[in-house]
Amino acid sequence: MNPIVELRQVGKVYVSARDGATVEALAGIDFGIRRGEFLTIVGPSGCGKSTLLSLIAGFNAPTSGEVSFEGRPVTAPGPERGVMFQDYALFPWRTVTGNIEFGPQARGLDDATARERVRVLIDMVGLRGFEHRYPHELSGGMRQRCALARMLANDPTMWLMDEPLAAVDLQTRIILQDEILRMWGDDDTSGHRARPTVVFVTHGIDEAVLLADRVLVLGRRPGRIKEVVDVALPRPRAAMRNSPDVAHLTARVWDLIHDEAAQAITDESR
Amino acid sequence: MNAQRLGRGARVALPLAVALALCVVWEVAVRVTKSHGLVPAPSGIVAAGWTLIASGIIVDAMSGSLERVLIGFAIGGALGIPVGLAIGSVPALDRMFRPVLDGLRSIAPIAWIPMAILWLGVRGDAALFVVAYGAAFPFIVNASLAARWVDRRLIAAARALGANRWMILRAVLLPGAMPMIFTGARIALAFAWASIVAAELAIGIKIAGQGRSVAGIGQLMVETLYVKRDVDALVFYMLVIGIVSFVIDIGLRRVQRRVLPWSAG
Repeated sequence: MNPIVELRQVGKVYVSARDGATVEALAGIDFGIRRGEFLTIVGPSGCGKSTLLSLIAGFNAPTSGEVSFEGRPVTAPGPERGVMFQDYALFPWRTVTGNIEFGPQARGLDDATARERVRVLIDMVGLRGFEHRYPHELSGGMRQRCALARMLANDPTMWLMDEPLAAVDLQTRIILQDEILRMWGDDDTSGHRARPTVVFVTHGIDEAVLLADRVLVLGRRPGRIKEVVDVALPRPRAAMRNSPDVAHLTARVWDLIHDEAAQAITDESR
Repeated sequence: MNAQRLGRGARVALPLAVALALCVVWEVAVRVTKSHGLVPAPSGIVAAGWTLIASGIIVDAMSGSLERVLIGFAIGGALGIPVGLAIGSVPALDRMFRPVLDGLRSIAPIAWIPMAILWLGVRGDAALFVVAYGAAFPFIVNASLAARWVDRRLIAAARALGANRWMILRAVLLPGAMPMIFTGARIALAFAWASIVAAELAIGIKIAGQGRSVAGIGQLMVETLYVKRDVDALVFYMLVIGIVSFVIDIGLRRVQRRVLPWSAG
């Protein structure tokens, strides 16, 4: 089967608007994302993880190479590629319901259909009773659930998630990991339901291994593919949080990026 | 005594007691020095206030001034918000018009009064011009900042959710700019209220000389100064001007909390 997303020799150079200085964020990325897989991306800070995600989302164009989605070059964002941002990016002037409704409204769905969709999603992410709250009245975990529901409201075939759980506490993160897995279809081993394709950028190596079918390990700037680690562990994964297999793979991925991560720290302080 | 241990009653009562004590000292000082008439006294201010309220003079003057403030404020907003949003979101427009606008902004609204009187006459249009002029700039400044500072991530989120340009403008840029425009409105209204008093004071001299009926609080003050020489009434007007601007600001904040409940104004 063709990959849903293809990255061909993708490079990205940022030019500073102030002094014209250039930063090479990504170089020579050649990779195909399989339909329905849960792909996580890890790497030392500043390795271009988020840049890669925003190229797939269509917020930026690559400086070299090509990014294609379903066989067509990506030129702009689209509702079939849902995005979840690190710091939520919820609309502060919209309530929980209003935020989730945004996608259906933008796509011109009629009110009744949109409302029913929102109602289902609010139940699914456990925000019943908070529908009329504004984002600033929600806890971090609830905001993240709202952002998840907002992304799901468009039924995207791809979920592009940029460190979605970086800003919540550890317990909340574990609960949300389980929920993301469940909504993706972690416990559906029948293979009848088509799972969405997930690209999940994270700093957490254990999280990356636990959730993923494959872990894409990027090297230090300019970000290149260092290794692709297959996580050939059975699903559902939610039950495997403490399994030695997960711990073993986590240690392996950590070995891959340890030196680079240490180097990145000294680079940054220079 | 620990300030935090003060009860709710004491927190209100103490400042009131201080104010009251100051008034008593003031009253006694004026009476001992027999300077009442040149120096206002609290008792005189209360008496003057009572007369002015009972006769309806203060209400007439205030409603005249307030009407002009609100019309001028509305004109300032109608001109300032679109101009501000335009220069805030289009860098080329900003480069073209900002120097001119900054130059105009540096001219105190009051300095336009002679010109305004020449063009528009003393009946009130001149004051209205000054008020609208003064109110327009806070709207321009804040609306342009609001347009420039709209969170790019929110625009990205809207695009990823399938929003077209029109929806981004209507559902992201405009609501995102509202809190700062509201802050601009509060500054504009404070400017407008300050300008109207100044404008009416300046224009008022002429009106008072012609013995015409009083049009606003500024004219009333001029008349009180030159014709009646009533210092107690003057202080009463000052108090009313302060109270009105305070009430207006509280009112606008209430409106903001009502209209934009998500922005902790």
